[in-house]
Amino acid sequence: MGRPRRAAPAGGESSQRRPAGIVSGVQASATIFLILRRMRAPLITLIIIFAISVFGLSLIPGQDADGDPARMSIFDSFYFMSYTATTIGFGELPTPFTDAQRLWVMGTIYLTVIGWAYAISALLSLLQDRAFRSALALQHFSRKVARLREPFLLIAGYGQTGELLGRSFDELGRRFTVIDLRDARIDALELDTLRADVPGLVGDARNPHDLQVAGLGHPCCAGVLALTDDDEANLAVTMTAALLRPDLPVVTRTTSAVVAERMSSFGTPTVINPFDRFGDHLRLALRAPASYQLMTWLESGPGAVLPERGSAPAPGRWVVCGYGRFGRHFAGDLRSAGLEVTVIEPQPGHDPPPDPDLHLVVGDESDPAVMASADLATAVGFVAGTDNDRTNLSLVAAARRVNPDLFVAARQNEPTSAALFAAMDVDALLVPTEVIAHEVYAQLSTPLLWRFVRELPGEDDDWAAALIDRLTTSCDEELGALWKVRLTDEEAPSLGPWLAAGALRLGDLLRNPGARDQVLPAVPLLVLRGEESVLAPGDDFVLAPDDQLLLAGRPAARRGLEKTLVVDALPEYLVTGRTVPAGWFWRKLTRYRPAPEVPGAR
Amino acid sequence: MNLEKVVFGFFVTLAATLNFGFFIGDISDPEVHNEYELFAAVVVNLIATVLKFGDRTQIGAVHLATSLVADLQLIAATVFWAYAAHISTEGLTAGATASIVSLSGGALVANVVSLVLLVVETSSFRRS
Repeated sequence: MGRPRRAAPAGGESSQRRPAGIVSGVQASATIFLILRRMRAPLITLIIIFAISVFGLSLIPGQDADGDPARMSIFDSFYFMSYTATTIGFGELPTPFTDAQRLWVMGTIYLTVIGWAYAISALLSLLQDRAFRSALALQHFSRKVARLREPFLLIAGYGQTGELLGRSFDELGRRFTVIDLRDARIDALELDTLRADVPGLVGDARNPHDLQVAGLGHPCCAGVLALTDDDEANLAVTMTAALLRPDLPVVTRTTSAVVAERMSSFGTPTVINPFDRFGDHLRLALRAPASYQLMTWLESGPGAVLPERGSAPAPGRWVVCGYGRFGRHFAGDLRSAGLEVTVIEPQPGHDPPPDPDLHLVVGDESDPAVMASADLATAVGFVAGTDNDRTNLSLVAAARRVNPDLFVAARQNEPTSAALFAAMDVDALLVPTEVIAHEVYAQLSTPLLWRFVRELPGEDDDWAAALIDRLTTSCDEELGALWKVRLTDEEAPSLGPWLAAGALRLGDLLRNPGARDQVLPAVPLLVLRGEESVLAPGDDFVLAPDDQLLLAGRPAARRGLEKTLVVDALPEYLVTGRTVPAGWFWRKLTRYRPAPEVPGAR
Repeated sequence: MNLEKVVFGFFVTLAATLNFGFFIGDISDPEVHNEYELFAAVVVNLIATVLKFGDRTQIGAVHLATSLVADLQLIAATVFWAYAAHISTEGLTAGATASIVSLSGGALVANVVSLVLLVVETSSFRRS
């Protein structure tokens, strides 16, 4: 994609009409041709050596068992040469040889050994050959992708973000394929303990052909994630996906607004800017710590431990170190939240020029004099946002020495520094890879979760705190699975009449089908009815047909609920406490008709 | 002149001619069918097959297929000959000879198809 393209007069329109199946089977079947072509010379050598040896041996005068002169037949000669050439060596069969035959055989032994050695070494060197191995791996990969029969995601770039996401999706039972430039990442994928077999390809995501092989043209492909750390490659993936499969959702990452703009001109990709999102998150954290806590928890995927609730600092002045892409974004976010900001930056004035009404201190962050001029003692928050982890750590330490009560936010660039930042115990930590992974997870795991996360900031902090309490009482500090239930005739056949009569309350549905006085350990996070959604509905919420529920809870709760949804007799038991016959025989016997008797609904 | 084409044409033609040489004559008379000629036909056919390996064109694929058919028929003829001459108690009878020769006749048809393909390929070749 980096190559300049010939300007087509029809522009994008003509490219959209291009059929998606440009992947050729040629490359996949190239392996066998490669073997055949390379093996030509050794095989012909072997055939000729055998032919000469067998022919000669059948002409040399020998003798039979009685000592009379006789020649070996072609059959005997071929038999002898076969076991001699392969170094098995049964001896001189069928009769001991004459000296003339031995002379000939002596020559042919050396000849055939050379022939075999040549053929075998040619085959072995072919197996060692890099091009051959990658051709074999490609064939293996494309076969695995072609065999996928369930919706899968295409992840381009399997770095930290890809790995985090891959684990979360695997936990949910979602399938995905991976393409990455580095063999080490694909090796890591193969060594990772994922449940599903994930096809991984060492290839260039910028190359449309490689993307096609990775499943872009596959009918089951459900989405494309461009998560490489190279903006150019992400842009290329976005473009390829938009042109070849305009129907697929694309999620991509970048930290540059310019690149984001270019990406958005191809289809409607979801562009995630980790710095931007972190700014939003931190604003939420400052305004409503419990909402922020809830959001991070739900976005972390199944099995995540409840993060600690931060305490928001009082409004006041913030000091931001490093005015690069992150610092600029972040300072802007803080200022738009109405906070005063002081920025320390050694080399300002790069393009674009800094905001003129920004309080800017020019100088090296590590210089105590510069730090002193930022007047940390009167500040409430401090942000260590340079692109160097060592600098950030020392900045945090220095700032805390001056003012221990500071709210400290830091940016972690490398995954290896995670332990150090954890030991520093900063109040808010930006790990760009995690921000992206959580964001993508929230968007793609279920659309309801994404809806919940988007509407969460609209609720107040006490509401979020109450919901966290409900979640922790029913599922402990570890987040249970999130799952979606559609109250349709297909997924919930037993509820049909109850829903239609408006007689089913959410609290009744979530009772234990074995003992109705117990409540299933599940928390309804969201009910979606048409386009309207209700966040964390209470027990008295009356359900309607075709409602969609997002629930969080233990697997036992999920099994219990699934039972309720399909067994006809259960809704009545849950609502009224009456045990009704479930089988045909008992129903006939008791003349029971399954219909909701709704107390108070008539 | 392309040496590869010369070698290729040589072996394809030689395979067909040797096959024909073995096939011609009274079908049940062992005297007129030389076993060495059959041996040579097998060897040359195998070489011709290997020479056709790795050609990814459509005509190359058909070439390879015809050669494989010829190999199969000739090897079957050879195995039958070995059985008749060495294993069977009756030796190389007229019936056995007829079977061997008719198998090689089948191979001959495949070789002729190969020859036709060679001629077609050559005549459709244009210097661009």
